Amino acid sequence: MTPLDKGQLWVMRIHAAALSLILLLAGAAAETVLRREIALPPGAILLPLLLAAIWFTFLAPARRFRSWGYRMDSEELQVVRGRWTQWHTVVPLDRIQHLDIAQGPLERSFGVSRLIVHTAGTLHSQVTLPGLTRPIAEAMRDEIRARIRQEAS
Amino acid sequence: MTQATLADRRVHPGAILLRFIQGAPSVVFGLPAALAIFSKRGLGLALLAAAVIGGVMIFMQWLRWRSFRYGVGEREIVIESGILSRNRRSIPFHRVQDVDIERALLARLFGLAKVKIETGAGGKDEGVLDSVTVEEADRLRAAVRAWHVQAPLAAPPDVSGAAEAHTPVAVQPEPHLLFAMDVKRVLVFGLFSFSLVYLASLFALLQTFDRALPFNIYDPARWVGLVEHNLPQRFTVAAAGFVLFLAMLLGVAAGVLRTLARDFNYRLLSEGSRFRRERGLFTRTEAVIAKRRVQLAFLSTGPIRKRFGWGGLFFQTLGAASDASGMQAAAPFATRAEMEPILAEAGPFRLPQLSELTMVSSRHIVRAVATSVGPALAAVLAASTLFTPALLLLLFMPFLGISAALQRRHHRYDLHADLLFITRGVWRQQLWAVPVANAQAVSVSRSWLQRRLGLATVSVDTAGAPATKGARIVDIRRETAEALAAEIAAGRRAYSSGRKSGTDR
Repeated sequence: MTPLDKGQLWVMRIHAAALSLILLLAGAAAETVLRREIALPPGAILLPLLLAAIWFTFLAPARRFRSWGYRMDSEELQVVRGRWTQWHTVVPLDRIQHLDIAQGPLERSFGVSRLIVHTAGTLHSQVTLPGLTRPIAEAMRDEIRARIRQEAS
Repeated sequence: MTQATLADRRVHPGAILLRFIQGAPSVVFGLPAALAIFSKRGLGLALLAAAVIGGVMIFMQWLRWRSFRYGVGEREIVIESGILSRNRRSIPFHRVQDVDIERALLARLFGLAKVKIETGAGGKDEGVLDSVTVEEADRLRAAVRAWHVQAPLAAPPDVSGAAEAHTPVAVQPEPHLLFAMDVKRVLVFGLFSFSLVYLASLFALLQTFDRALPFNIYDPARWVGLVEHNLPQRFTVAAAGFVLFLAMLLGVAAGVLRTLARDFNYRLLSEGSRFRRERGLFTRTEAVIAKRRVQLAFLSTGPIRKRFGWGGLFFQTLGAASDASGMQAAAPFATRAEMEPILAEAGPFRLPQLSELTMVSSRHIVRAVATSVGPALAAVLAASTLFTPALLLLLFMPFLGISAALQRRHHRYDLHADLLFITRGVWRQQLWAVPVANAQAVSVSRSWLQRRLGLATVSVDTAGAPATKGARIVDIRRETAEALAAEIAAGRRAYSSGRKSGTDR
């Protein structure tokens, strides 16, 4: 399995950091309000939140990043994902209905993009593969497109 | 050929009255009734209001009827609608999957039928003609069918006008009856469709009208009072049993009536490349299932039904299914022997023998016990700290274990050449028969507990599958799961390359 591009790790970290910051601010606000009402030792809310935020920002993204992987050959696209429940999905290339390449502003600044393939199924009608460099994503897209066209003819 | 199809037909004028009657009771009588209750004015005013509202509604329906036009061309159906902003919609024949004809009781009195043109786009009907005469409905369907017979379904729409070049194929083979249910069969089926849902909806209905009732049905004091009054010091097991018995009786009656209304005179016919299904007592519906759109066969039965040899056969089809479950009923209450000819017509299907199928890993029991007994045990222990007799509930624990063991006995699978069989469920015994060629994405997933036990789940995605209950094999050994997924992928590849070399010739 090919790991994702390193840029995706930074995307994940910054995402997690932003979320942690919001969480911490909300926690700080809740604590100041609550401490006026009831006797609460200082940091009763903030401290656990801080620990969670540290884990969430500095430890979790790397583990999450490592859980991703993909492999594409002439027949199939395989995607491995998930830490808690691990998924290994095999998408036959000739079953792909259409596909997108998506790139958010954060992803653009780290030079990665997402490949999203759609099938006619229901459970995995949409399989997203993040953390591909733009050239790789485009190469994969072109290959799948050629395959779909060949199938249609 | 390239000229646009003219939308030169209107639906039957009777539709104005029909739709008015359908929509009337709620508005024409509901609104003035509310007015009369709240304003405490006389009945005369309410009747006047009803007449005015009724008149306006008939006028609106007439406007709607006048503005709605449709036309049937050589290769498309055109529908124009809209009173202020006109909207023209063209549905090419090659995108039409089904033409359903629905005849509700009221429409039958008028000699009319509702035509639904189903294209399988997002499960919505794109074209509904409400309502036309029965002959017109038949003519419409014949037009679509004639096109499908002449032009192969798979052919892309050609704009060049080469349609005439198609050699007109012989007419569709004579339809023949595959399966039918007489009244007795429908009644037996109804007995098994026991449902408390309708009882619940009756209560919901009562709740909405409880203002009109002289008492509050949700006042527990009232019910307790009733019981105490009628059965002094005898609110016993017998009384509770009687209430339960009554509820059961009502549930059975609701099930029988509903089944009778839906499946009366059920007929499934085979007409060349499609099945046609007719059913219903008050509302007679006709649906068409294209055989090549059948993705998988699904059987559902219960422990008691199975003992008598009954079960239901359903097809999962590409595109919209009219049943809420995402499946099209083929033979909802039939024996195995009756299902086999239907399956043989639908494609490469057959029914497996139980002995052919392999049970999932014995660790499935471990996981089922862990996920059912674990939380239950924790809850009981927590409760017992507050209320010691709660420990008596521990007596029920063995039953959870037994049900876990039963779950494994009923969860079996086998990949047999190009068909994947999966059975699952103790009370609702389900069987999937999935042609490997129809598999979309195939996934192997492993939850935290499954990893500890060395297990995995294999999910086979198919087109049109319901979101929650697709074909899955839960808890087989990891190596087996990976081998199975690879085998399914290989089978699918062999099919698609075979098909390609077939079309290349």
